[in-house]
Amino acid sequence: MTTLERTRTEDRVPDKIKRVQELYADAPEIGRVALKNGLENLKRELAAVPGRQSAGRIGARQGKVSELTAIIPLEPGGGKRIRGLLDLLEGNFKGADIVGTLHDMRFVLLENDTKLLFCTTYDGEWDAYIDDFVTKIPNSMDILFCNCLGWPGIRSPKIKDWLVKNQITADAWYVSNPDMSVAQAHRLERVGRAVEELLDKIG
Amino acid sequence: MSSIEESVGENVADAPTLDLDEIQAIVLRPRPAPYFGTHVLLRVDNAQAGRAFVRRLAPHIASSANWWNAPHTWLAVGISYTGLEALGVPKESLESFPEAFRQGMAARARQLGDEGVNDPKNWGKPYGTGQVHIGVSAFSDSEEKHQRALAVAREQYEGFSGVSALGMQHFGAQPSDRNSLGYKDGIDQPPIEGSGVDPLPGQGRPIKAGEFILGYPGESGVPLPMPQPDIIGRNGIYVGYRKYQSRVGAFNRFLHANGNTEEERELIAAKLVGRWRSGAPLTLAPEIDNPTLGADPQRNNNFDYANDPHGRQVPFGSHIRRMNPRDTKLSRLTDVNIHRLIRRGSTYGLPYDPNALSEEDDEAPRGAIFLFMSAKAMATIEFLQQEWINDGDFIGAGNERDPIIGRQEEGATFTIPKEPVRRRIHGIETFNVLKGGEYFFMPSLSALNWLANLGG
Repeated sequence: MTTLERTRTEDRVPDKIKRVQELYADAPEIGRVALKNGLENLKRELAAVPGRQSAGRIGARQGKVSELTAIIPLEPGGGKRIRGLLDLLEGNFKGADIVGTLHDMRFVLLENDTKLLFCTTYDGEWDAYIDDFVTKIPNSMDILFCNCLGWPGIRSPKIKDWLVKNQITADAWYVSNPDMSVAQAHRLERVGRAVEELLDKIG
Repeated sequence: MSSIEESVGENVADAPTLDLDEIQAIVLRPRPAPYFGTHVLLRVDNAQAGRAFVRRLAPHIASSANWWNAPHTWLAVGISYTGLEALGVPKESLESFPEAFRQGMAARARQLGDEGVNDPKNWGKPYGTGQVHIGVSAFSDSEEKHQRALAVAREQYEGFSGVSALGMQHFGAQPSDRNSLGYKDGIDQPPIEGSGVDPLPGQGRPIKAGEFILGYPGESGVPLPMPQPDIIGRNGIYVGYRKYQSRVGAFNRFLHANGNTEEERELIAAKLVGRWRSGAPLTLAPEIDNPTLGADPQRNNNFDYANDPHGRQVPFGSHIRRMNPRDTKLSRLTDVNIHRLIRRGSTYGLPYDPNALSEEDDEAPRGAIFLFMSAKAMATIEFLQQEWINDGDFIGAGNERDPIIGRQEEGATFTIPKEPVRRRIHGIETFNVLKGGEYFFMPSLSALNWLANLGG
């Protein structure tokens, strides 16, 4: 970001403060008081360089990391199958380890198990590795997602459109280490261990 | 990793037999050696005149029939999305082409990482203007035959109104078949199932034809999405055309800054690519160059990385290990067979000069125009640009980028693994700058006739 762009961001702060004050004009009193007392801290964040990016066709991105949030209606009986399957896995997702781009996955069954909230944080662009799932782990994908309404099958050319239809881009999203990919974290763990070993030897 | 990976289930029982009479010659015929040629970029100003041009040109476009034994001179033709529009292709058909193709390469700059020096706003005309409608390429093994083929192409539009030539780029192999940075190139190509020829040693198992040519099953067992109607899509292929300017001065300055002797500089040059400039792979010739090996197509690609798990022969970040990791253990679940492209490189301008060290030498017209071809070339080029070229995480190279075609940022490095500690070289620059690019669709010969006769 150039100096010029940064100046412009800072120039926008008074306007942003005015707008947040307008937004909170009819807020509950507790909120109005908090805004007044917390305005100094908020100013710093409003003045910061924007971090929001797009993960491609859909989803938000910060640095190397992207988010996927989807609320997916389930097939009849699909909620029961997903709940049963996840119970049997007892929190083990070895299959997900090999993907190498997944930071986390969250499954929440909603509305009497008729809908699935699926959230994940992953590295890179939205659809970079979907074709690899098709040839490398098609069964894992279909076992889980066949329970979702209208799942066309991982091999279907319609798969990306189906995902887009169910995905909702996060309105806001915080990432502590936007440049820390899964691969980079593993690498730094290895480097850290090696450094400690070296220090053990010479210390 | 392999124990967890799954089999894909039911594959097609019979290997598809390719319609070689329908597929354009450039798809399967290897680049001649030596090679001479021209890319012509054309604009269609009038749909009827454009179709008449296609009708005149079509009989001169060579097919892949008997490609292993065919003459080494051919004409190929590709049409951009704006070109299909200009020819009057019906709306339903236009909408059946993939989004990235419809938008064009310049509009996909964000997905391609074509930013900074590679930004389309820095491209030369007519690239990225939407005016490049048709590209015609002539390839030959002799200058004379190339000129004859080019003359045949020109006769089909010169003197006719409604089709204008926007530019013409001659190209040709440099002495000893080298590219603009002094390397023998174009060695490793993906083997295609059903093409009628066994893979060369080291090429690996044949890849399902549908990954490259539309209308056949791909690696997942089903055909990739194909533009409609069938007649236009089947046996066609997408082409990513990317023109690079080689900054030969910067490249040589980098070698001189990091190597004190000719031998040291050549070793660094080899580490950047993974091959000596002769084409000899470092895996088979780790210490000194072996030009005989480099020149032998039966041997110069016959290797894997089983005995080089730490990258001490071929660095993880080197160009050929990135572009085809072969059996390298990758940190991300990847099917290397679905990220391959058929490449027809074409070197243009001045030959490589090892003594060129100045900044003026960076600007002397010299470089390569790559044609990257497959049934999903847009998606694959975007994948390669994001994952394998302008990043290093997939292969354990951190934030490092491809030293040859990557776009380097301030403070970029290149790591050469070795014992007892790796050597990390600072100050690597962007050695090849993107000067233009377009997406084309290269139709089958039947599709060309269909296009030529649209609107009666």
